[in-house]
Amino acid sequence: MSAAQIRFATLWRREVNRFMKIKKQTIGAPMLETFLYISVFGAALGTRVGELHGIDYVVFVVPGLIMMAFSINAFANNSSSILQQKFQGAIQDQLSSPASPLELLLAFSFGGFARGLIVAVLTFLAASLLVDLPVDHLLVLLPALFLVGFFFAQLGVLIGVRAEQFDDVAFAQTFVLTPLIFLGGVFYSASLLPEPFQTLTHFNPIYYMINLVRYGFLGYSEASIALSLLALLAATAAIFAVNLRLFTRGYKLRA
Amino acid sequence: MNDALAPEGPTPPAAEAALRIDGLEKRYATGVEALRGVSLRIEPGELFGLLGPNGAGKSTLIHCTTGLAQPTGGAIAVFGHDAIEDYGEARQAVGLAPQEPNLDWFLTVAETLDYHAGYFGMPKRERVERTAELLETFSLTEKAGERTRTLSGGMKRRLILARAMMHKPRLLILDEPTAGVDVELRLELWHYVQRINQEGTTILLTTHYLEEAEQLCDRIAFIAEGRIVGEGTSGELAAEYGVANLEDAYLTLVGRKELSRSHIEVEAVP
Repeated sequence: MSAAQIRFATLWRREVNRFMKIKKQTIGAPMLETFLYISVFGAALGTRVGELHGIDYVVFVVPGLIMMAFSINAFANNSSSILQQKFQGAIQDQLSSPASPLELLLAFSFGGFARGLIVAVLTFLAASLLVDLPVDHLLVLLPALFLVGFFFAQLGVLIGVRAEQFDDVAFAQTFVLTPLIFLGGVFYSASLLPEPFQTLTHFNPIYYMINLVRYGFLGYSEASIALSLLALLAATAAIFAVNLRLFTRGYKLRA
Repeated sequence: MNDALAPEGPTPPAAEAALRIDGLEKRYATGVEALRGVSLRIEPGELFGLLGPNGAGKSTLIHCTTGLAQPTGGAIAVFGHDAIEDYGEARQAVGLAPQEPNLDWFLTVAETLDYHAGYFGMPKRERVERTAELLETFSLTEKAGERTRTLSGGMKRRLILARAMMHKPRLLILDEPTAGVDVELRLELWHYVQRINQEGTTILLTTHYLEEAEQLCDRIAFIAEGRIVGEGTSGELAAEYGVANLEDAYLTLVGRKELSRSHIEVEAVP
């Protein structure tokens, strides 16, 4: 391995090590949360709702839950980890190393990505035990999940770098991210909403992410797959470019 | 002889300064001018002291050298490598033991050393050997598996010093390493610092303690209000200020000559 590869691997390993040391909180709690969603919305409500667009309700909900688990955990990991390290000053050890801004950004990003992926895979496995979950379009599902995870990992980095107190992170997660995810159609089909809520949903970027993941699993979508993928790719590239610029300038990281 | 503290890499040509700072300026976003054209040259193998009151610019100078702050003017070169343009090589040559313990609470003592070396690109086998060496050298072997937040203050100081040495830097920067520690630990740290220097590592030491600088340093610079206002051996500085010792030279610099012990003793005589 080259020195740069060792640096990147160590920076990434540190992120994974952090969340694995508190796995009850970082892996266990999200798993329990997802299990409760499946129980309440799937088993309890699902028996009343029956089918949506010819798909069993609990099966309709699971792709959105997987996407939600991936995104929230990727975001939460990076925003908390960076802010904690800024508070402790421990980030100075990394910032004073020869690691480049790109190496630092990618290591932080893939740390949260790894946590999101673990929770998403565990959610998929647990859901597969409870319901018959198909995978209709693997070639859409894999890039869609990768982009969703990477986008929210970047968003977590952005909020973590900008944040000056834990309240800033909590605000972003509670008042922005969670409502957007819930209103993006995880638990329902936007086509069933009355106007103007149906139209408003189309302005929610999360709606397209959920559609992509749902299409990958179930083959059902309410929006153009090609356009959604392209928009997600563009949004991910844009936020990555912003973060790279912040890391290069040392914004709120270097005095 | 245990060479755990010896720096890595070939000895550079004598003409290459370990640290060369030319006209360094740092103005923070708040408008505070922390450094106003600082120039300094530290030769390889030197143990160099930087003395100055709080807010004089000592930590800012260190942060600019290690990449934790971005200079607004001037140049810094570490063993000939520009700290901005060639930051990778420059930082590779520097080890930093900061004033405030900035250990990662999630890591154990051994992981702290291992990860630090990884950040500097050291291969695994070398990291394992180096970690064992430094744990032994700094009497931390028994604490290897403990989380850093459970360590005593003294152990944290030793771990920070060990961490700074982990990647075998040729220039070690110690930012007030003995601030707030008891006499026993201070003497212990002095012993480590002298040993590290004797084994070939150049050291830049900032301190508030004049006797520490006098005891340890080959040369000393006074910094005040972001400027270097005196530089030399402790004898040269005393002579420059026309006083008996380094302490009086320092008090003259900060405008508190009335606190001089000789002054007080003279006044006390009836």
